[in-house]
Amino acid sequence: MVNANNLLAVSNLKTYFAIKKGLLRRTVGYVKAVDGISFSIEKGQTLGLVGESGCGKTTVARSIIRLVPATAGQVIFEQTNVLSADRKRLGKLRRDISLIFQDPFSSLNPRMTVGNIVGEPLKVQKGLAGSELTEKVAALLSKVGLSPDHINSYPHEFSGGQRQRIGVARALVLEPKLVICDEPVSALDVSIQSQILNLLKDLQEDFGLTYLFIAHDLAVVEFFCDVVAVMYMGRIVELAAAEELYENPLHPYTRILMSAIPRVEPTLRGQRIPSAGEVPSALNPPSGCAFAQRCPLVEQVCLKQMPILEEKGGYKEHFVACWKCQ
Amino acid sequence: MNEQDVKHNKELPKGRSLWGDGLRRLRKHKLAMVSLGIIAVYLLLTGFIYIAELFDCQFELIKWDAKVGSEYEPPGAENVFGTDFLGRSVLRKTLYGAKVSITVAFWASVISLVIGVPLGAIAGYFRGVIDEIIVWLYTTLSSIPYILLILAFALVLKGKTINLEWAGLGTIELAGITTVYLAIGLTSWVGICRLIRGEVVKHKERDYILAAKSYGCSNSRIIFKHLIPNVFHLVIISFSLRFVSFIQAEVILSFLGLGEKNRPSWGAMIDAARLDLPKGYWWEMTAATAAIFFISLALNIFGDALRDALDPKLRVQ
Repeated sequence: MVNANNLLAVSNLKTYFAIKKGLLRRTVGYVKAVDGISFSIEKGQTLGLVGESGCGKTTVARSIIRLVPATAGQVIFEQTNVLSADRKRLGKLRRDISLIFQDPFSSLNPRMTVGNIVGEPLKVQKGLAGSELTEKVAALLSKVGLSPDHINSYPHEFSGGQRQRIGVARALVLEPKLVICDEPVSALDVSIQSQILNLLKDLQEDFGLTYLFIAHDLAVVEFFCDVVAVMYMGRIVELAAAEELYENPLHPYTRILMSAIPRVEPTLRGQRIPSAGEVPSALNPPSGCAFAQRCPLVEQVCLKQMPILEEKGGYKEHFVACWKCQ
Repeated sequence: MNEQDVKHNKELPKGRSLWGDGLRRLRKHKLAMVSLGIIAVYLLLTGFIYIAELFDCQFELIKWDAKVGSEYEPPGAENVFGTDFLGRSVLRKTLYGAKVSITVAFWASVISLVIGVPLGAIAGYFRGVIDEIIVWLYTTLSSIPYILLILAFALVLKGKTINLEWAGLGTIELAGITTVYLAIGLTSWVGICRLIRGEVVKHKERDYILAAKSYGCSNSRIIFKHLIPNVFHLVIISFSLRFVSFIQAEVILSFLGLGEKNRPSWGAMIDAARLDLPKGYWWEMTAATAAIFFISLALNIFGDALRDALDPKLRVQ
């Protein structure tokens, strides 16, 4: 998957959280939130990262920009390894990679005006101030569909969708190359979701942005992404172009997810595959395939050995981690 | 900001900040506004005495040590609150006592905030070893009974001098009220420190702090621009509620003979009147107690209203 067009290449990223107990804070174990993930995103593309709650999607996002320290692996952004970058390098990287958060109610400082919220990255990174700053912020606000008159307003005066627009403006103010969207629409009403998604699409065209789009809503991802990676228990179980994945899901977990997408057309409604069992504890993960306990196709080998992500069965660029898929 | 920018900003509609909202709520609270008026009277009186002393003005009202009548004169037309055992006006002594009490409470609050707020914010933000040291420090301090601790501090500090010649400020002699407010301030930062630490721990996990980190804000910028403005209403609320307990602490210290000796304070007045009361000379005790009563009540009502206005989530309906 190594490619000169890649803007971001993540290889074998691992983020473990130590569990400390007792008076001496001894480490008694690890939660393997992200356990060996590799993917890459080409310039101008959108990679969707889907999976259920707690599977490590957000930790991947935060590890990439070092809000959470990664345990091992490499994150290459334009020939620079983010994980080993020094302070100066990291400061520059933080201009090029920005984040959009899930909850527009907690991601904006309630005591700052919209102008200050959107303008702060410029102040911190480029030392802009005064009318130059105000002008830039006003221009960007109208770009994301807010009136520049709102520059002196506070976040609590806006609705959820408007607040998310403010969050988008803040993420774009430094003219980043990569935008990590951490479930940007899952906290919004369905009617507002499409507005924000369309806005993100338009901005991608205007600014030539690359997105890492994290979601748990497969319908949203189908509409929005070029490549989709499905995560389960801190690992990628399936990775393919969006069309290919939706037409031809190979991993049993992906199939269960697909069958759960609500469809309007009765003819498209397939047989709903029920999901059995529970997600195993992240504290004490099984030695074999993490999905084995819930898998309808489970065999002896699944319980003993961890499958690796590899290209399968004549499908081009379709990667699956499953013993049962040929 | 340059001129053009200011003009540009003025044309735009102003937003309603959370502070503005709080003030609007506060203004609707009638009792709080009355309390604020009472507090303002005490503060203005203190300010007036300071200015009068600074310019050596000869106002009758601030000459508390002048003999205005015979000993133990009961309240009457000439001396509204009567006179004490030296024939001095109790009214003038009571008014002058406000200066001592307000000064002590003000500086004690400032000292405890200057120590407590940054320590709490640092402990809550950095956690880890720093947090444990600070928590250990304040739990140890708070395990000692409050009055005993203040007494110990006051006794140790009494008569000492602080050498500030290296800063070009000369030496400060710790006498009278300086000892009192240092002792109170140095022992009472625990509550505000604990409060701020807890609140910072809560806020630092919010997404807006992560966002600030993600575009490269420094730790000090996050603490001072993002965290402290979001917990500062608690500082103001606790300032107004603590002011009362500092006034009371001053009274207790003066009563126990550790406070101001040469000038009247409410505690010293109560101490002096204690022995006069059985003899039927009730007015000095009454005047000092009433002075304490009104400011305490006003500060408590105002502090509660302030909490309701600035922290609406805490309000119990």
